[in-house]
Amino acid sequence: MMGRLVVLALLGYMTLPTVVVIVASFNPTAILSFPPDGLSLRWYENALTYPQFRRAAVNSLIVTAASAGLALPIGTAAALALVRYPVRLPGLWNTMLLSPLVIPGVAAGLGFLILAAALGLLANRIVLVAAHVVLVLPFVVRSVMVSVANLDPMLERAAASLGARPWRVFWRVTLPLLRPGLFAALLFAVIVSVNEFVVSLFVSTRVTEILPVAMFTYVVNYTDPTMAALSTLFIAATFVVVFLADRFLHLSRVFQIEERP
Amino acid sequence: MSGKAVVVLEAVTKAYGRTRALDGIDLAVYDGELLALLGPSGCGKTSTLNVVAGFVEPDAGRVRLDGQDVTRQPAWRRGLGVVFQSYALFPHMTVSDNVAFGLRERGATRDEIQARVVEALALVRLPAAGAMRPSQLSGGMQQRVALARALVIRPRVLLLDEPLAALDRKLREEMRAELREIQRAVGITTVFVTHDQHEALGLSDRVAVMNAGRIEHLGTPREVYERPATAFVADFMGASTVLDARAVDGSTVELVGGQRVEARLGRSLVPGATVRLLIRPERVELGEAGANVLPARVASAMFLGDHWEVRLELDGGVRLLATVRGSAALGAGDRVTVTLPPDAFLEVTR
Amino acid sequence: MPAPPGRDGAPRRRPALGYTLLGPALVMLAILGIALGALLQFSVREFIPGSIQTGGLTDKNFRGVLAPHYLRYIWDTVVLSALTTVFTLAASYPVAYALARTASARVRSLLLILTLAPFFTGAIVRTYAWMLVLGNSFVRWPVKLLFEPEGVLIGLVHFSMPTMILILAAAISHIDPRYERAAASLGARPWRVFWRVTLPLSAPGIVSGSLVVFAWTFSAFPTPELLGGGRVKMIANVVKDLALDAFNWPGSAAFAALALVVTLALLVVTGRILGRHAT
Repeated sequence: MMGRLVVLALLGYMTLPTVVVIVASFNPTAILSFPPDGLSLRWYENALTYPQFRRAAVNSLIVTAASAGLALPIGTAAALALVRYPVRLPGLWNTMLLSPLVIPGVAAGLGFLILAAALGLLANRIVLVAAHVVLVLPFVVRSVMVSVANLDPMLERAAASLGARPWRVFWRVTLPLLRPGLFAALLFAVIVSVNEFVVSLFVSTRVTEILPVAMFTYVVNYTDPTMAALSTLFIAATFVVVFLADRFLHLSRVFQIEERP
Repeated sequence: MSGKAVVVLEAVTKAYGRTRALDGIDLAVYDGELLALLGPSGCGKTSTLNVVAGFVEPDAGRVRLDGQDVTRQPAWRRGLGVVFQSYALFPHMTVSDNVAFGLRERGATRDEIQARVVEALALVRLPAAGAMRPSQLSGGMQQRVALARALVIRPRVLLLDEPLAALDRKLREEMRAELREIQRAVGITTVFVTHDQHEALGLSDRVAVMNAGRIEHLGTPREVYERPATAFVADFMGASTVLDARAVDGSTVELVGGQRVEARLGRSLVPGATVRLLIRPERVELGEAGANVLPARVASAMFLGDHWEVRLELDGGVRLLATVRGSAALGAGDRVTVTLPPDAFLEVTR
Repeated sequence: MPAPPGRDGAPRRRPALGYTLLGPALVMLAILGIALGALLQFSVREFIPGSIQTGGLTDKNFRGVLAPHYLRYIWDTVVLSALTTVFTLAASYPVAYALARTASARVRSLLLILTLAPFFTGAIVRTYAWMLVLGNSFVRWPVKLLFEPEGVLIGLVHFSMPTMILILAAAISHIDPRYERAAASLGARPWRVFWRVTLPLSAPGIVSGSLVVFAWTFSAFPTPELLGGGRVKMIANVVKDLALDAFNWPGSAAFAALALVVTLALLVVTGRILGRHAT
């Protein structure tokens, strides 16, 4: 019983900020008070019409679409290679593919900034996209690897014995059976890319900046609850996406939490 | 059966690391026959199948199908039908789509596919299963779908990897008979792998008994059982008693315990030579019934339903295993008489 | 490739195809490597004020790192990271235990979603939320929290909990519950079972979780940036100040290199420990 209370208290701590943000987003005035004096949607209106947010949202769309679109095939190929093919030193490649997760964001960000300047690409989105692909790749590879590991190699042999050429085996048997992993990978890729902040802060300009960076700039300069409204929208979208991810590929398995009867 | 060799393996060798999975396999499978590859785990029977199928390339030797050298040809070119031990039915396709897979890869028309799938499912007696998914089928049904899928493409050879191993005993016995019927009906050359000697004996036209990467005996079921080439084969085909003896004259030997028995081995023995004999437990008879009547003591007796498994001891410490039918109760310590028919002995040279 | 005798594990494959498939991923990693290389290169080049060009090789940047007022920031970073790790561990363990041991799949799903959602809501949203909570608009805190180290600590712990929970939950779930049952059958009360059996067996998870959280917190940026309000600075904030405000890329690179080296060293240590315990 005590244990349950402790867990509930901690869960409360974890969810408190979310609750506060949602409440604040409906606050009628710029000065926050609790309980709020009324409910208003003006900050939502402000958030949705603010030009820099709009531009940043479009940028986010472009960058996320491009990086997910690249990361998915690259990551899937790598996952297949690591699980199925006799590549030497698979442990090393595995570690290296997960390495972007551990590099400090400021180090990667500054590094990409310097690289972009050296290549004269400061105003170009390409470096930002490349950085996102790198940051998203570990998630993609992990998700697909789970699916590949669960794939019975005998199925591919059966397909070959029935006359299917290697490419046809991949297309008709392997790929369809990888669908759950690919879906999860896409989900992760989108979530991570949309929320990526630190590296993007370094590598983007005001023209190319993505949504989190625009939000950061806003928060530093203004104190009204527009940010709360935008955050609430973000939170709502994220919950939906995470819920879907758990439905389609049991997240416990991805994070290697064994289910005990 | 036309007597033509459909599958030929010449001196096929395959090693994994330092272990030789296949150590010089020479094998010919004739048109229309059902050949069993029999042996314990690790003997190389599945590796042999994999080489024929093209899943594994041999280190040395040749594989021929219908006279054509296919050693380097990939699996998808060989036109064989394979039924895997785990069935390997595509979980994301219906039964019909599974069966139709090979036909689609060959570019058959939709009507043709439909007709042949229906035909194949009827052959394995699952006419109504078309729309179901593999996960909804029992083990026996899955196996039949796997068979239909392999047969529908009209392969020149059917390869089965332990097809009945995953089924429970009763189902296994039913499927054994059905498999044989289907093979006979279709007339297709078949090679199947098993570790169960009853299965091999019951189903096949010929058996290749394998051990440590080599074929120790290739012959008809009766040959392999009644005149095994080596001690390993004799032992693998069924439990038996090994008796070391010394020849006294052309057809008599003396056992370790001093007993003299007549042994008709189809050849004249050299007096003084040592011989190694085998006698199957079902040939050891209790009671007096002819030549070679000896006194014995029951060391232990186990009642197994339709027969007793009796361990007997003759004078001088000679041990004998006997299978006794009937309900007469036997207990340890009982004194009995045994008869060893002279033609029941097998000689083992290796 | 060697395989158990008599059977082969995978269909026949040519290793070359494996490397081809791995290729594009390796190209992306190479790009990251080049970026980090550029970083390290800049860290040893001379800063030319007013330009992003650099001069010749110098160790001025690293000596600058050791200057007293910068050293203070490094020390603050170490202290904050350590405190964060300790508090995160204490707060995460109960939740992780619940997540790992709960019998109901639905409860597990719920806990997992609650744990992961902050993870995926994005750093800015989460940090902004804390700004609201700590900023005296909702609750009058007895102690000033916003723009103070205490506030930053609260935010950092919140940030790190999902990671710690996942690592701990994975470790705890791999502990066979029969050990706990055996201990109970031998007369140990629940607290003692936890103390003598569960906790020690989850040690690898604790160690790796702690090292990961420490390494990550060491380089934390948005939390101290927004909750610190310029008064609390960690290494990452210094990097940003020098790079984006002062355009001193070389100086910034030195600090970034420091953060990189510390992080990698910690993770190598984690890898060694994990390797030995093969969790």
